Amino acid sequence: MARNLGTAALIFAALVVQMTVINRMGFSVTPDLVLLVVIALATLRGETAGAVIGFLAGLAADLTPPTDHVLGQYALVMCLTGYLAGRWAARVPLLSVAACAVGAPALAVGVGSLLGDPGVDWSTFMAIWPGTAVCNLLAAPIVVWAVRGLFRPARSRDVLIMGRRRP
Amino acid sequence: MKDTRRTRVVVGSLLATALLLITLDHRSGDSPVLGPIRGVAAGAFGAAERAAASVTEPVGSFFQALAGASSAQRKIAELSAENGRLRGELTAQRLDRQRSAQLNGMLGLAGRGGYRIVPAQVIARRSAPGFEDAVEIDAGARDGIRAEMTVLNADGLVGRVVRAEQHTATVVLLSDPASSAGARLEGGNELGVVNGLGQNGSAGRFLRFRLLDSSAPLTVGHRIVSFGSMRDTPYVAGVPVGVIERVEATPGELTRTAYARPFADLTSLDVVGVVVKAPTRAPRDSVLPGGRPDPKPLKPVPSV
Repeated sequence: MARNLGTAALIFAALVVQMTVINRMGFSVTPDLVLLVVIALATLRGETAGAVIGFLAGLAADLTPPTDHVLGQYALVMCLTGYLAGRWAARVPLLSVAACAVGAPALAVGVGSLLGDPGVDWSTFMAIWPGTAVCNLLAAPIVVWAVRGLFRPARSRDVLIMGRRRP
Repeated sequence: MKDTRRTRVVVGSLLATALLLITLDHRSGDSPVLGPIRGVAAGAFGAAERAAASVTEPVGSFFQALAGASSAQRKIAELSAENGRLRGELTAQRLDRQRSAQLNGMLGLAGRGGYRIVPAQVIARRSAPGFEDAVEIDAGARDGIRAEMTVLNADGLVGRVVRAEQHTATVVLLSDPASSAGARLEGGNELGVVNGLGQNGSAGRFLRFRLLDSSAPLTVGHRIVSFGSMRDTPYVAGVPVGVIERVEATPGELTRTAYARPFADLTSLDVVGVVVKAPTRAPRDSVLPGGRPDPKPLKPVPSV
């Protein structure tokens, strides 16, 4: 219970920091902090929890003002990302984090263009995706390390080979 | 994995819920079902964002300065002489004084145009996650702000309000790909439409301007002002929009396309104003930078 509350608080904090600090720095590409937190939590807690956490975090991202897109768009993207990150984490943890951090922005562009979001097309993909992917890759180790420090694995089975094993 | 079946059920139902939400929201907008949910969430997150913005302001402004310096290499080379002079002033200036200058400029623009505005400060911005260019401001319905009001700053048009909560409001910027505003070339009566380009326009540094009359002259350096909408919602008339930077050759098309640099720096917004009452008479070109222009425009427009 305390763990779930902590998870919710962490995602809330990540959303607020993303909107008030990272997005306002004035850089044209920024890492997606909420996405990275979801991936980190999913690698810690497995595929089912990853999907649920991803869905709820995505829903919160859809609802956080300022917003002007349809509700549920990011819930869909992050639910899938959390599920895949949790599923692959058991076998290839490092690769799982990297693939999800790089793949999720592409998935978001795809879902956006399928839903008819204005101005989201192939040229948007080429403009957004490379920068965001590199940013996410660079920020991923820091976020994963921080989240793993906050939520140490409950059982030794969940301990991934990345990071330091805690006693 | 021993509980693959349960996992599949959970993931499947979550994805179905997401699609259901998307469908509901797409079809009904601010329906009685989703409207209150959005309102409650906006209240909670808005309060947190206001608190966080007040704490993180110095950090954000430091990085903003950093980002501006790194992205404008070419400009820095051109303006290094002027920079040296200004840097002394800038370091001496406190953040508050900078803000007061912005506010002064904005009030001056509002006074010249005859707009009645409510000043506000940007507290949050959306770029990731999302493809929309939107900001949250710290003034809301309590301050008389309603949806579909014009937002401007000291330099020019910024965007329009799409949603107003009690203490905060959401503003969609001019650079958002979904936003389009009627615009007019200075001096003449040539009409056009300004569209946002989103990330394609290097993140708010350029807007697309379509001139409806393909035979009208359109050259680099022409300035654009807003044309105004019916009953002044969402855009009031006569607000400076931008200056044409590049004209595209579009032979055989019904409209002419040009790219304009907005007067307002849409990448780093701080103090903005919401127009709560439009002037009774449209101010035409008198609000353009440099005061009231002389009767003839930069490039004389042949009269019909």
